[in-house]
Amino acid sequence: MNSTTPIPIAIIGTGNIGTDICYRLLRDSRFKVVALVGRRSDSPGLHMFKNEVDHLIANGIEDLVPFLDEIDGAFDATSAFDHKKHWDLLANAQKWVIDLTPSKIGRPLVPVLMNKIPIMSLQNSISSNYSMVTCGGQSSAPIVHAISSVATGIKEVEVSSSIAALSAGPATRLNIDQYIDSTEGLSALISDCNKVKAILVLNPAEPPVMMRTTVNISAVSCDLEQAKATAARIVSEVQNYVPGYEMVVEPYLQSLNTISATVKVTGAGFVLPDYAGNLDIINSAAIETAVLHNAHNRSMD
Amino acid sequence: MTDTRLYDVTLRDGNHALRHTLSSKFVTSYCEKADQSGVWAVEVGHGNGLGASSFLVGKSVESDTALLQAARESLKKTKLAVHSIPGFATIKRDLIPAIDFGVDIFRVATHVSEADVSQKHIEYLSNKNVIVHGVLMMSHMIDINGLVAQAKLMKNYGASTVVLMDSSGFFIPKDVSERVSAIKNELDIEVGFHAHNNLGLGVGNALSAINEGASLIDGASMGLGAGAGNAQLENIVAASSRESILNTNVYSFLQMSKLVEETYTDKLPRTTSSSTQSGLVGVFSGYAPQVIAISEELGMDTNTLWKEMAKRKLVAGQESMIREIAQDLMNL
Repeated sequence: MNSTTPIPIAIIGTGNIGTDICYRLLRDSRFKVVALVGRRSDSPGLHMFKNEVDHLIANGIEDLVPFLDEIDGAFDATSAFDHKKHWDLLANAQKWVIDLTPSKIGRPLVPVLMNKIPIMSLQNSISSNYSMVTCGGQSSAPIVHAISSVATGIKEVEVSSSIAALSAGPATRLNIDQYIDSTEGLSALISDCNKVKAILVLNPAEPPVMMRTTVNISAVSCDLEQAKATAARIVSEVQNYVPGYEMVVEPYLQSLNTISATVKVTGAGFVLPDYAGNLDIINSAAIETAVLHNAHNRSMD
Repeated sequence: MTDTRLYDVTLRDGNHALRHTLSSKFVTSYCEKADQSGVWAVEVGHGNGLGASSFLVGKSVESDTALLQAARESLKKTKLAVHSIPGFATIKRDLIPAIDFGVDIFRVATHVSEADVSQKHIEYLSNKNVIVHGVLMMSHMIDINGLVAQAKLMKNYGASTVVLMDSSGFFIPKDVSERVSAIKNELDIEVGFHAHNNLGLGVGNALSAINEGASLIDGASMGLGAGAGNAQLENIVAASSRESILNTNVYSFLQMSKLVEETYTDKLPRTTSSSTQSGLVGVFSGYAPQVIAISEELGMDTNTLWKEMAKRKLVAGQESMIREIAQDLMNL
């Protein structure tokens, strides 16, 4: 297969996340959207893409089976519970999956950290499962890495995010513990520190607020000037796939030996409004991961 | 005489005033007196509740466990209570250990418009052998119909009481009676009220809630609490004794307040020009230490900062935005 052939994919889930990915990929020459899978024929998400997607499937993943030969992989934007079933089916059919649920089944991937730390690497198997973890995970991980890489003896890592209440769907609200657990797991993985804490605050202000994530890292020693430089560099690298990612408070000494920094994420405003930076960053990471995985595996053919 | 019960937040909201330095030693001496006073419950912990010790909102000097243990050992008649905010606390990490620890009352709190975030936590707790309250923080930031709808969600999840927190000290007595009576009229649920003293109305607002039939009233000895402090517990008791609306002994409450007064002489909250300003504009008064420190650091007026925070409708738990807002104002 040549590297300019569009990657044929399916999207499972027709909520905010699924429809935003579908909208973007239909306008992205690197992809071909073969199928969009929902669970109800009256789903507004399916209706939105009438005449734009070859197979609009209304009865769940079983009805995708006849078309599996037409796709290389899938984006799963359903729920952690449903993802397990979807993954069983897709792994069997030798497909890769980008998991946008907090199921923790796949290997966590933050695109900007690829090859910067050993665990963030692409998988050679065709049936690979990449977890996008959480929005707070995607927004905090680059900064956690930047500061950790210039600190010694990390004692504690804390990542707190505030997001617009309007951008937090029912699944996030119901599963806020899962969000915290997954985000803490990613912070521990990146910093190699087991004392981690994640906090999520929903802000209902009108007009809605942009997503903000603050990282605090306490260490035996850390060079503030180096932290500023590495953080600025990684922010500009993230901007290659999340244009609305920016530093709003650059690293400063919050207290003796504790460095703090804050980033803001403004959404690209495709299907979702610009305040939904939390959804934007996880979708942007998912698309970037699919591109990288396919480039990697095609070059190995 | 009403059957209103008193709920003592000195050792939780007061921890804001102490910048989370509360010691288990003080918890022990306070709880020994509280247990003799007839107060229904004593709430203990970090100012933002279970699992909230953090860089974001402040680190506790002593762990939740150490503080709860000290309280549990000293409270025989009075119930032991905790405050808990989903997003900070999780069921597995914080609620389960607290249940095992013998906490009697769990208050699950959310910002007033976000009650649905409490669903899993309230449902989980209501299947355990504990008392569960739902708390709506910053309750002035929504209209009365909205308030009733949010209270109803918490009731449906299984909360036996819904507590309205005037977290900014924004209410006047009329606001309190309208809100308490609206919930009492429309929902079959007990109502609690939690005052702050920014406008000097803490005790007055508490009496207003009692008169509307609130069954649970929060107060703190010497008002020890965030910002301008809470309604003074001993003064709620003293003032209501004039109308014989509470069957309690003022003297034992004065012993509790005296202990706080003598131990934390330089930490006692009071209404200041800054806290009056934050109360008037309706911003969470727990932000006061950061607002004062950052204003001083950047050489700006606290009132300007409070007003801009109100304009941006900050909710509790957004300490990290204060610096950003201040920097914006100073064009840094």
